[in-house]
Amino acid sequence: MAEIRLEQVRKAYGGVVAVHGVDLTIRDGEFVVFLGPSGCGKSTTLRMIAGLEEVTSGTIRIGARDVTELEPKDRNIAMVFQNYALYPHKTIYDNLAFGLRMRKMDPAEIDVRVKKAARMLGLEDFLARKPKQLSGGQMQRVALGRALVREPDVFLLDEPLSNLDAKLRVRMREEIARLHQDVGTSMVYVTHDQVEAMTLANRIVIMRDGHVQQIGAPLEVYDRPANLFVAGFIGSPEMNLIEGRIEGADFVAGNLRVALPPGVQASGEVVLGIRPEHLALTTEADGVAFTVRVIEQLGAQTLCVGEAGGERMRILVDRVDSWSPGQSVGVRFPAAKLHLFAKSSGQRVETAKP
Amino acid sequence: MSSKATIYGFLFVGLAVTLALIVAPAVYAVSLSFYQMDSFVGAPKWVGFANYVAVLQAPEFWRALLNGAIYALGSIVFQVILGIGFALVLNEAFPGRNLVRGLSILPYLLPTVVVILTFKWMVDGGIGIVTKAVEAMGLPPINWFESPGAAMASTILVSVWMWTPFVTTCFLAALQTVPQSLYEAARVDGTTAVQRFFHITLPMLKPILTVVVLLRAIWMFNKFDVIWLLTRGGPVGATENLAILSYRHAFNLFDIGGGAAIATISFALLSVAVLIYFWVFPLEDD
Repeated sequence: MAEIRLEQVRKAYGGVVAVHGVDLTIRDGEFVVFLGPSGCGKSTTLRMIAGLEEVTSGTIRIGARDVTELEPKDRNIAMVFQNYALYPHKTIYDNLAFGLRMRKMDPAEIDVRVKKAARMLGLEDFLARKPKQLSGGQMQRVALGRALVREPDVFLLDEPLSNLDAKLRVRMREEIARLHQDVGTSMVYVTHDQVEAMTLANRIVIMRDGHVQQIGAPLEVYDRPANLFVAGFIGSPEMNLIEGRIEGADFVAGNLRVALPPGVQASGEVVLGIRPEHLALTTEADGVAFTVRVIEQLGAQTLCVGEAGGERMRILVDRVDSWSPGQSVGVRFPAAKLHLFAKSSGQRVETAKP
Repeated sequence: MSSKATIYGFLFVGLAVTLALIVAPAVYAVSLSFYQMDSFVGAPKWVGFANYVAVLQAPEFWRALLNGAIYALGSIVFQVILGIGFALVLNEAFPGRNLVRGLSILPYLLPTVVVILTFKWMVDGGIGIVTKAVEAMGLPPINWFESPGAAMASTILVSVWMWTPFVTTCFLAALQTVPQSLYEAARVDGTTAVQRFFHITLPMLKPILTVVVLLRAIWMFNKFDVIWLLTRGGPVGATENLAILSYRHAFNLFDIGGGAAIATISFALLSVAVLIYFWVFPLEDD
């Protein structure tokens, strides 16, 4: 158990910078998710924490130790790989025991730990099998078990659920969450799936092009995205982003005019953000006319693509059966749910006191 | 129907070629071993198992069997050890790797005669570069083909030189299929480089190792050209294996039946050895 601190951690391959100075403190027992599109530097950062990639500059500390120059084996970390990386010629038992045997642990203690991990993960019946004889979900559990038996300071998980089908991914997500509650060890988890990030994380670190975009609790990131990239990346369906300008107390884009909350300190060119689920239905007299173009029925909810004041946007509302393309309905832009971003920098402009 | 006819057509041609070029000569060779013949034109005389009895009673047969085993074992061991070593080196990233990979296969592309002549020049008693080097180091001259031990060593040396590239290529191909994440997982698990070799590399190479050793064993046990060109089985039979002995019987001693009997025994021994090999090292599908 320990805190992990990254101080100005940077990685360059020749002239190409993969990770620009990352500063981050992962508290003891925290579940931190690195989220971002592929090539954003999230896996590289994780692998630097693991010691599988050398750090170009900066410092990594686990607990009181500076581990920047240490080999992976000396960092007291355990890692779960996307393709599981189980030793194919060893039995499940030997896969679980391998790391402990390499550390010359007492065989009796190894047996206790392996059996305990197998019990926690429901692998007791598979211990004599080889990885090839297991399903993807079972192999992923073995990979988790291999990390678990080590009782490390921190678990590092590199897109552990990417190779699983959608249904299994949800189940394994729950298992990982439960595992984290049970063992209470810090976990650093890399994914490109924002749902995984939202559901698992205590804090999300959103990265893009090697830069950290925002660090925050899932709902904090959802409620107050720091910039346009985060606004577009977090949330499904995506946030509506409308380019326009400030005119007095209103946001104006084409024929669309939206009243902003009082006290907004912005002017000129801005981007207005509003999530599809925050656009509220109302009468046409009260709100803005919205022309329905495409209707997607999701079951409990209806997702609709259309136009308001000439701007294309999506709304997500409780199920409506009666709409048809071309129809006009009224939508309201609740002032408290609006996000504003400076068009030039893409940075958030505060619309209300948090 | 026509597609079925085509299939049978191909099958028939394949079978006919196999029968004519492989089965028929093999059957003919085995049948020869039951006759006494001093040439391929004279009338053969049925002698039953007399050829086998004569061959098995001759000490030269047992000596040739032992020589063949030593030669095959020696060259396989060095080919495999060197092959794995070179493959590991060529699998690492270094400048000019592709060039070195290409060059490393060259000895395998040379005709056997060229390799043998090159080797003979290198160890030539008067002008050989190896001879001069040995001389310069102040060591006594090595009688490459005159002393039995040195002759056997030179046949093994040349074989290793020629076929290690093949083994290297096989292992290199296999190494490239090993996922890097296995090595990373093992690094996290606390292994040293040596432990990673024995716990990951070697087990992952095992299927190809099984096949390569088998193929090399068969080819080396039946090897004729290298030994014939280098030593003709000499000195005084020190490097003579069953293939050479069989040839000598059939074409030098005008004992075609005896030569055929030796070839047949050699074939039977090899078949049994291969069966045992597969029994001990089954080709697993994992």
